[in-house]
Formats: sequence, structure tokens, C-alpha cells
Amino acid sequence: MAFDAVLVVSVLGVAAWTVAARDTFAAVVGFIAFGLLLALVWVRLAAPDVALTEAALGSGLTGGLLLAASTRLGRAGMTAASETPGSILRLAAVVVCAFVAAGLVALLLLLPEPAPTLATQAAANIAATGLLNPVTAVLMAFRAIDTLLEVVVLLVALLGMWSLAPDRLWGGLPRGSGLSDPDGLLTFVAQLLVPVGILVGIHIFWIGSVAPGGEFQGATILAAMWILTAVAGLVDAPATSRPWLRLLLVAGPAVFFAIGLAGFAIAGSFLAYPPSYAKLLILTIEIPVTLSIAAMLALLVAGPPEREPQR
Amino acid sequence: MADFLLGAAGFVLAMVALGLVRTLHGPSTVDRIMAAQLLGTGGTAGLLLLAQEMNLPAAVDVALILALLAAFVSIALFTDAAQSDANRG
Repeated sequence: MAFDAVLVVSVLGVAAWTVAARDTFAAVVGFIAFGLLLALVWVRLAAPDVALTEAALGSGLTGGLLLAASTRLGRAGMTAASETPGSILRLAAVVVCAFVAAGLVALLLLLPEPAPTLATQAAANIAATGLLNPVTAVLMAFRAIDTLLEVVVLLVALLGMWSLAPDRLWGGLPRGSGLSDPDGLLTFVAQLLVPVGILVGIHIFWIGSVAPGGEFQGATILAAMWILTAVAGLVDAPATSRPWLRLLLVAGPAVFFAIGLAGFAIAGSFLAYPPSYAKLLILTIEIPVTLSIAAMLALLVAGPPEREPQR
Repeated sequence: MADFLLGAAGFVLAMVALGLVRTLHGPSTVDRIMAAQLLGTGGTAGLLLLAQEMNLPAAVDVALILALLAAFVSIALFTDAAQSDANRG
């Protein structure tokens, strides 16, 4: 009980501090700490699936994205402090936030008791998917279309970011780290940690069919490991015009969509799997999807093209 | 035994919370990076203790991810600070 109390107080304290922080770097550090504590909260609530996602995507990769954004803002000479909103804008923000908070509270209070759930139906039909982890069964079979659209959203986000580059840089290379030093600490860490990290990433992906884990979490780790090697200067980011890179990016969604369409012929509807092949088909989707997501996340952190493509 | 594990996890969490104060208070970037490192290590230890106490083996995987990504985030923080310094100087 005391443990939970300390946890709740820390989470709320860090959240409040992060919102109030004036310095971008400090706010990002607060956000990462917040994600870490939130992962502990999810474990306390016996929801390890959510904890895994929070630790990998919420804290780790989003933290990296925000850091990259804060570095870019610093380079462009823009800081959060330089753009103070007017009093009307502040008042509007307060009103909107109060409305959203009140709406959420009202929804929580108005929830029917017991809350409506499809968990029993999902648990009753899990055998047909050949999977043992109910969360993966929901993500890859019962609600596979949500997962397909999530992957597509990620791809659209990447295209949106690429299109921020000026025309002459389209298809060029993202900014390099400029920190390459063959005897440096970064190189050492990259050489030591990355092989272990790749193994852990594959483990988290593979275990997803029987225990908490899955393609998004595994892909996050793979992406983080690629970013590490790139930061250490051991590999350079590929030009975004490379055909193999673009093939890698669309392979996941394309295979997912193709198998979904094949569902019409072999099982009677979009994204339906015949029970005898369900697990095989799910794996056939998951492997390219994992690789595509890893590439998308890594390129999102790498940023838009800033160097001219080599011809 | 379970009480002891939860107590130990609580102690680690309290230390992490102290580290958080340091992280958030700063004032220098180095303080923040060091405290973020401590957070990652403390969070990993807390998760491992919780995994035992709650009999939740999946929490070990969460700890594994946290350990890896804490190293990743520390390096990201470091390179960010290094690049900001390079821009300033």
C-alpha cells in the first residue's frame, strides 16, 4: 500500500513538473521519467502488455523523438520561452483543458457497472487463432484492421515528416550525428550493446504470441539499436530515395493488406484467417511488419533529409 | 517474503524519487543525465522485485526493455547536450 502511495505521488509530481518546466531539455527529461514511472504503475495493475509498450514506445522512443525535436529547436534558435502566449490564448487553453478533464471524469463516473467487455468472448475464441497471448490475439486477429491502420498511420507520419524537407533535398540523407570517433565511448557502447539489444528485440517480438510482447515493442528496440549505431557514427543513415529502403518501409503494410484481401477468398471476409493456418498467416504478417515499423521509427527519429542525395 | 520484496521495491522507488528531485532540479545538464541513468537502473531493479513479488514473469521483460532503453536514452541525452554545446560554442 505504501509502495503504491509513493508511486502515485511520484507520477503526479513528475507530471506536474514536466508541464510546468520552462526549459525544453528539462521537460523532455521529465517526460522520460514520467514514462518510466507509468510503466511501474502498469506492472502494479498487472498489465505487463501495456507496461512493455509504455516502457518501449512511450518513454524510450518518444523520449528520443522529443529530444531530437528539442535539439532541432535549439539549433533553429527557437525556445519555448521565446513564444509567450497571450492571456486570451491562455484562458482558452484553460477552458478547453477543463472541459476535457470534466468530460473524462463524467465518463468514468457514468460507466455502467459492470463495465461492458468483450474479454470473455475474446478468451473463448482464442484457440482459433493458435496464439496464447490474448492481447496479441486481439491485435492480430480479432481487431487486425486497427493494427493495419496503425502501421499505415506511422507510414503517413514518416512521409509527412519527409515532405518538410526543401525540394532539392527530397530523397537526401538525414543529418548525421557528427560524433564519430572510432576509439570513443559511443563506439564502444554501440559495439557492446547493439548485438544484445537486437537479440532482446527479436525475443520480445517472438514471445508476443505466448506472452506479453509483440511487433511494435520489438520493432522499437530494433529501431533504438539502429539509432545507437548511427549516433556512434558506425553506420550512416541511408538516403531516403534508396529503393531497398522504400521497399522495406512498405513491405509490412503491403503484406498485411495482401493477406487481408486473401481473407475474402480463403475465409470469407477481409482480414479473416482459416483456423488451421491462422498462426502461420499471423507470423507471415508480423515479420515484415516488425521490420517495417523498426525502419519507420528509426527514420522518424533520424529526421527529415538535410543533406543532398548523392548521385 | 512477499512483504520483504515489496518493501525493498518501495525503498528502491523512494531512492528513484530522490533521484528524480535531482533530475528535475538540475541545475546542470550533467546532473540531469546522471540522475536519468539512476532512474533507469532503479526502475529496472524495482521492476525485477515487483516481478517476483507479484509472480508476473512478463515484468522481467519490461525490466529488460527498460535496462536497454535507459542506456539508449542516456546516450541520446548526452549527444543532445554535446550538440547543443557545439552550437553554442
